[in-house]
Amino acid sequence: MTLPSERRLPWLFLNLLLAVLALAGWQWRDGAPLSANLMELVPGTAPDALELRAEQRMQEPLNRELLMLVGHKDREQAIAMAQKLGEQWQASGLFEKVQWTLQADLPALRTQLLQGRLAMLSEADRQQLTEHPDAFIQQRVQALFDPFTGFSLVPSQDDWLGLTGRIQNSQPQHGTVQLDIGSGALIADADGKSWVMLRAKTTGNAFDMSLPLQVADLLKHSREQAAQSDVQLLAASGLLYAASGQQQATREITWVGGGATLGILALLLLAFRRWRVLLAFIPVLVGMLFGAVTCVALFGHMHVMTLVLGSSLIGVAVDYPLHYLSKSWSLKPWHSWPALRLTLPGLTLSLITSCIGYLALAWTPFPALTQIAVFSAAGLLGAYLSAVCLLPALLKGADIRPAQWPLRLCECLLSLRDALLKQASTPVLLALLIAFCVGGLLKLDSKNDIRQWIGAPQQLTDEAKTIARITGFQPTSQFFLVRGANQQELLVRQTALNERLDQLVNLEKLQGYLSLNQLVSQPSEQQQVREALGKLPQFWQPLLDVGVPAEALHAELTKLQALPTEDIDTALLGPLAEPYRPLWLGPTDDGGVAAMVSLQGLNDPTLLRVQALDLPGVKLVDRLGELNSVFAATQISAAELKLASCALIVLVLMLPFGLGGALRIVALPLLAALCSLASLGWLGQPLTLFSLFGLLLVTAISVDYAILMREQVGGAAVSLLGTLLAALTTWLSFGLLAVSSTPAVSNFGLSVSLGLAFSFILAPWAGRHPHTAPVAESAA
Amino acid sequence: MNPIFKSLGALVLLGLSSLAHAFDLQQLSDQLARPEVIHGNFIQEKHLRALPQPLTSKGTFVLAKSNGLLWLLKTPLQQDYRITPQGIARRDASGWQMLPGKSAGAEQNRLFLAVLQGDSSGLQRDFELSLSGDAQNWKLTLLPRSLLLKQVFKQINITGGELVSTIELLETQGDSTLLRMQDSTSAQPLSTAEQHDFTE
Repeated sequence: MTLPSERRLPWLFLNLLLAVLALAGWQWRDGAPLSANLMELVPGTAPDALELRAEQRMQEPLNRELLMLVGHKDREQAIAMAQKLGEQWQASGLFEKVQWTLQADLPALRTQLLQGRLAMLSEADRQQLTEHPDAFIQQRVQALFDPFTGFSLVPSQDDWLGLTGRIQNSQPQHGTVQLDIGSGALIADADGKSWVMLRAKTTGNAFDMSLPLQVADLLKHSREQAAQSDVQLLAASGLLYAASGQQQATREITWVGGGATLGILALLLLAFRRWRVLLAFIPVLVGMLFGAVTCVALFGHMHVMTLVLGSSLIGVAVDYPLHYLSKSWSLKPWHSWPALRLTLPGLTLSLITSCIGYLALAWTPFPALTQIAVFSAAGLLGAYLSAVCLLPALLKGADIRPAQWPLRLCECLLSLRDALLKQASTPVLLALLIAFCVGGLLKLDSKNDIRQWIGAPQQLTDEAKTIARITGFQPTSQFFLVRGANQQELLVRQTALNERLDQLVNLEKLQGYLSLNQLVSQPSEQQQVREALGKLPQFWQPLLDVGVPAEALHAELTKLQALPTEDIDTALLGPLAEPYRPLWLGPTDDGGVAAMVSLQGLNDPTLLRVQALDLPGVKLVDRLGELNSVFAATQISAAELKLASCALIVLVLMLPFGLGGALRIVALPLLAALCSLASLGWLGQPLTLFSLFGLLLVTAISVDYAILMREQVGGAAVSLLGTLLAALTTWLSFGLLAVSSTPAVSNFGLSVSLGLAFSFILAPWAGRHPHTAPVAESAA
Repeated sequence: MNPIFKSLGALVLLGLSSLAHAFDLQQLSDQLARPEVIHGNFIQEKHLRALPQPLTSKGTFVLAKSNGLLWLLKTPLQQDYRITPQGIARRDASGWQMLPGKSAGAEQNRLFLAVLQGDSSGLQRDFELSLSGDAQNWKLTLLPRSLLLKQVFKQINITGGELVSTIELLETQGDSTLLRMQDSTSAQPLSTAEQHDFTE
């Protein structure tokens, strides 16, 4: 029997579906609106625009640059291969710049050194010039006769006092990379090989979807080519991590999505033995479509991580048709519309509670979870609508005669339970369960780290470490942000900071740092140099003795004293300033100026925080550290959210079941969650934010099982069978997440799997006979 | 990179190779390779464009095949240098001080080592070598190959007979340095003091 409204519903729904499909088509008009930017997924903690700008500036090279070492025991061969690969890479069109030689613009360098003789002099040299001018002159005389001091860019007659040589030698040297004069290549020697450094900068960044894969491909090809000549390549870049992340996501979507799909289809066929029952998969497809369209509509794009986690929606979406399909065990003959009518209240409650559970995730400060929550909630709505409006029409007239063995299995399970209850009453079992929980919870460790988000292959991190060891370049993500009212104050503050950092360098807690005041000194210090130079004629007799004409010296002095005081902007123009340029943030909104101090080879981040404590205008920016503390804080708010969502679900359930019933139904999933936590403890698995999120979700999903059991449409065994099928399909999709190589995702999958298992075991206690157990009250 | 240093390196290199044929690079190498130890005096003239007179310094040197080079500046100031496989050192009141391995200096050292080990490809790569004259009176010209080197100096000329007698270095900017090695002798072994200087 079909109601008139039931005749119209499918058409109405098809119209809606068409509209959504059209919207999807429009959204995908320029290709897939997908994103792989990991930073989009983590909470935005940077409070002000300047810090954000600084952070972006520091991250840009990570996402656009690739550092490669070309190694061979014969230096010539390494250089030849670097040249060959460099040309190939340049020709590939993927890179804006590929560089393996140092193209020094010597005339520009000379000009910068000559112009910066007052401003660029190091503190030690300034001090010697001011306090020991005699020693200063003595050293200069020595240098004039010294055949081995190394070459000076500026000829002696342009710089009799040798200031440019001093500036050249005092520039901070990081790493062990050296210039090969013949080829101009930058080479480090390690492990019995010469390693030529090749740097490439891509045209797009790591979050462009196709670029990282293309770069990874090119690198793979180059590796093979190099291996033929026995040349070893080492590479490090954020791009490679992005590429591996994308490949991994694709692989996992295929495994999780494909595995869940096949498993569920097999399960449907096994249980219902009709090809037509595979139509139950339509709500899954519609759910995915709704989820994706809503996500893109709200966020402009969808993250690949949302897709990975969202693929678990398959198992939840298929539960809706299962609700009424499973009634075929008790309704004989089974007709689609009447079966739906019978289960519609339960279905609707299930949709509401699951949505509450998912949307609770949206209130965490994690954009990733917000996206997943929106994707899942919209997906569930789509699945529900298609299950309610469309599917019964498609299944109309289907002669479903399910296999009897699942029902017998469930009857068997129920009798087992009865046998168990005869041996030990529910309170005893509950006490045992609580003992299990307490024991497990005591063993539980909490662990949170941003690195759980990244399932980086060992090989990539190993290579990055090897490169850091060979070159001595160990960039750190932490940096100092220094602000000042003007350039003078900024440089003064940097000097104060540098004094502290020097101590860390001496203690070998820090390898080095780069700061603008290493390039240009404060205006007042430049004045000091000018004055000290003025006194030099009293001390320069030794120079005159070896034949330097007095007129030349006087002329140079006049020139030096007329040099204008250099500010940061001028100092940053020359070629020597290249590494310093990204550090300068320039004028800020509050009328001051700001710059960064970057760090190399950090051993102890906690020491850094202490350095900045009492320095005005100096702030340590430690995004990773902040994120980890956000993780820990979120864990607590997640627990609060969980309770809040439970309260909301109780309110919803009070309508059909009354307060007592609602409490009992919610208490079971909570107890299941507690048991899962304890199991994590017993298994020695850490409690992470993600396992907590998983449990948050499982609470919402498993409320559904308690409702099914409590409603008992068609008897306890049929209800348990419905629950079993729902739990199995959900587990098929979430459980497969546990195999993910991203620790966060796998942790999520594990905790959901555990939660589902416990929810299923506990579900029969939701039965409508209030005397069965005081479970609800004690667990709540 | 120090050009003078490079020329000295070239000498050591030539001294180490050993193949005898017509008077070519190989024969020159062979000829210079014979002495174990060379003692001599040097005069270094730095001709700067801005100075009418060159900056002149004098001293003695010891080139030992198996140890390295001692360069002892006597006038107008006294300063001792030592180049060994370990690097370049300068003597001050408290003894030999290794010069810090800044990138340029360390590169010199590497080249020097390559040279000591007879790795001729090092010099052949950076310089175009051409030899004229005969065994008793020869001239070797080194022309830098790379753009980077060309920006610093034009060429290096080395002349000699049985032993090296002059090294001349012409910088791109117009300055030049002339090293004259005089009274060189290979008859004398390393003195105890010299041995001590090399090993200290």
